[in-house]
Amino acid sequence: MQNASSPEPLLKVRGLTAGFDAGPVLFGIDLEVEPAALVALVGANGAGKSTLLGVLSGLVPAAGGKISLAGADVTNERAESLVRKGVAHVPQGRRLFGTMSVEKNLLLGAYLRRDREIRDDMTRVLDHFPALKDKLPREAGTLSGGEQQMVAIGRGMMARPKLLMIDELSLGLAPKVVDHLIEVVREINREGTALILVEQDVLVALDAADRAYVLQNGKVALSGPAGEVKNDPGVRKAYLGL
Amino acid sequence: MADFVQLVILGLLAGGVYVAVGVGFGLVWGVLNIVNLAHGSLVIVGGYLTWQLFTTLHLDPFLTLPVDAVALFVFGYALQRGVINRIIRAPLLFTFLLTFGLNLIVVNMLLLIFGSDFRSVTPSYSGQGLELGSIVIPYVRLISLGVAIALSASLAFVLNRTRTGLAINAIAADRDAAQLVGIDLRHAYAVTYGLGAACAGVAGGLIAMIQAITPTAGEPYTLQAFVVVILGGLGRVSATVVGGLAFGLVEAFGQSIPGSGSVFANAIAFSLMVLVLVTRPQGLLGRLR
Repeated sequence: MQNASSPEPLLKVRGLTAGFDAGPVLFGIDLEVEPAALVALVGANGAGKSTLLGVLSGLVPAAGGKISLAGADVTNERAESLVRKGVAHVPQGRRLFGTMSVEKNLLLGAYLRRDREIRDDMTRVLDHFPALKDKLPREAGTLSGGEQQMVAIGRGMMARPKLLMIDELSLGLAPKVVDHLIEVVREINREGTALILVEQDVLVALDAADRAYVLQNGKVALSGPAGEVKNDPGVRKAYLGL
Repeated sequence: MADFVQLVILGLLAGGVYVAVGVGFGLVWGVLNIVNLAHGSLVIVGGYLTWQLFTTLHLDPFLTLPVDAVALFVFGYALQRGVINRIIRAPLLFTFLLTFGLNLIVVNMLLLIFGSDFRSVTPSYSGQGLELGSIVIPYVRLISLGVAIALSASLAFVLNRTRTGLAINAIAADRDAAQLVGIDLRHAYAVTYGLGAACAGVAGGLIAMIQAITPTAGEPYTLQAFVVVILGGLGRVSATVVGGLAFGLVEAFGQSIPGSGSVFANAIAFSLMVLVLVTRPQGLLGRLR
């Protein structure tokens, strides 16, 4: 798939295995994300999507295999080291600091940064999500689901990531809200940030992405350009109900 | 009327010590979810440090408090980083057992080093007080109350206005999310416990000036810290301040009831704790979580 002139992939995963006490979850995952790509990671409940993101962001240890970031081996590095190297993870269920203000949530996204452009990036986040502008002093836990997802994505952006991974962006949100969030996500992608979009709502993810990986029982069952994956008869039957 | 005012003043002064003992305990409990049964022993370590510096270097005991704070911070940081971090995600019972064991170790180390004799710190001004009409305010206790308030204000400043405080609040709210924004949990936990221990050390320095200490004198303070934090409510420094002062007041008035003594006062204070738990489980100033 890759030709000689294409750049080193930003993220390269080879033969990744991982699991919990209850048993293995991932069985030899291969995955690549080019710089500034928008990659969809879809699959049924329990396929291992969130576990894979957990391994990529350092929350879940890898049992085997190799993860490279811009050519450097980062397998089983600590979460804070991966954040520093440009990986941001917007976890499933937003996981905001609910009793803290929206502003502090966003600032915490930039926790490891010492530069002077943190305020500029806050402005950039608010330009993407104008609805948050007058809610900065509010407790994050009191916001609506859609607004909380905005804060969660904004918190991820504040780290100035090279790779932003969003887990279940659409979960529990109205279709209109999801459309708006996807639009913003594509803007963020156009500005040069690579994205992994993990979705149970397969159509939402496949429509937005350039490439797609279909995860099934902890293995990559199918991968390729998002359009091709969307038209795959197996995918249409299993995930799209067509 | 004068008796009443005297009681209120004595209660608030006693409350100052409880505030100092409570803030560090409340911080560790609220952020790390550890009911630190070794807290009282850390308090007494601070007391012995003040006593040692006072007797050998003849330092004014209040000037030894920063030394207590720094020494206990380092000790607490190392303890959390090296030992308690290993069970931080284990069920509450494990942290109970571990901190109970740590308490025994620290108390016995103190017995080994200092023996079981009573030690007291008596600067030239101890026993003197401010006389306002018939009301007497002991200087040591008055300054101690001021120190306790200043200690709480400093802790609140660190928690609400600094980058370290931002990280501590974040790990209290959601450990996984805190990791995802790049907070090193091992370090943040250790700093939190270190700050709690530093507060305990300052409290111990104050206590050494107010009562004679022995290596086992810390145990009641663990219990009192527990009551103070429950009274005020978990999760805010200001709540612990209110809880500590309230505890002091209740104790002072309890002791003044004719026919009652200090034993009875404790019973009243703990009854109040039960009452608060039943009617307002989040504490006087706390919030439901």
